[in-house]
Amino acid sequence: MHSFYPSQIIEYLYCPRYTYFEYVLRIPQFEEKFYKVQRGRQMHNEKLERNKNYLRKKIGVKEKWLDQYLGMPGLRGKIDEVLELEDGTFAPLDYKFAEWKDRVYETYQQQLYCYALLIEENFGEKVNRGFLVYTRSSNKIVEVPIPEESKAEIRKSMDAMLKIIGQNYYPKATKFKRRCLNCTYRNICIQ
Amino acid sequence: MIIWVLYDIEEDRARTKVAKICKQAGLYRVQYSCFLGTLNANERDSLQLEIEELINEEKDKVYIFNMNKDQLKSCAMLGQAFDEKLVSDEVKALLF
Repeated sequence: MHSFYPSQIIEYLYCPRYTYFEYVLRIPQFEEKFYKVQRGRQMHNEKLERNKNYLRKKIGVKEKWLDQYLGMPGLRGKIDEVLELEDGTFAPLDYKFAEWKDRVYETYQQQLYCYALLIEENFGEKVNRGFLVYTRSSNKIVEVPIPEESKAEIRKSMDAMLKIIGQNYYPKATKFKRRCLNCTYRNICIQ
Repeated sequence: MIIWVLYDIEEDRARTKVAKICKQAGLYRVQYSCFLGTLNANERDSLQLEIEELINEEKDKVYIFNMNKDQLKSCAMLGQAFDEKLVSDEVKALLF
């Protein structure tokens, strides 16, 4: 069975055509050439070196696992930190090379939903919230609730993506026209 | 939005690099250490981070200003000034 990365699911939820262009036609986005992407990756490596033994008291962390590469049927990914909280539930934590702009973007939420699925599957524990660390706003930490419906939503997108990749199905583009303005595939996409 | 980048950078290598980054970002060189052009918010943010990493914060000076089209139109440009339409991306091709 095909197995997806959270980033692939996020791209699908942004616009289903991403999945088609990037994983059916295999037209690369060259995102590793963007400066902010490079800086973000570098930051992840530094964080892993530095935060080895530090446990976050404020949010009640009992135990943590760094850089966990987890997989399940249809989904796989690397989680910056898997936390065990005082109330017995687990939570994913992700570092963002970004500024806090007074709201959590949908794409970040979706990433945490994917991680929640992975943790529940691999650790066998309940996940009902996740955390984001904004490194460009002096490591501000934000809690994100993870409802059951959202996890189901992710599973639904996985099925839709399998259809695109498995059957070379050309999906309808997103109905939000504003997303097309910044899209890396806007030059080749038939509107 | 229209972005101005003005700088005063001591070290030659850093100064050349900043100029190169500005050009690559799609800005026009209107003076030796002054660039101007249209960027979106993400491109501006990326440019700022890149410049930040190159300069010496103790000595160098860099200004990045935002401006909208109306403000640019109301500017006074004397002598051998640049083409206003070119920098606001109104001219699509230089040759026909």
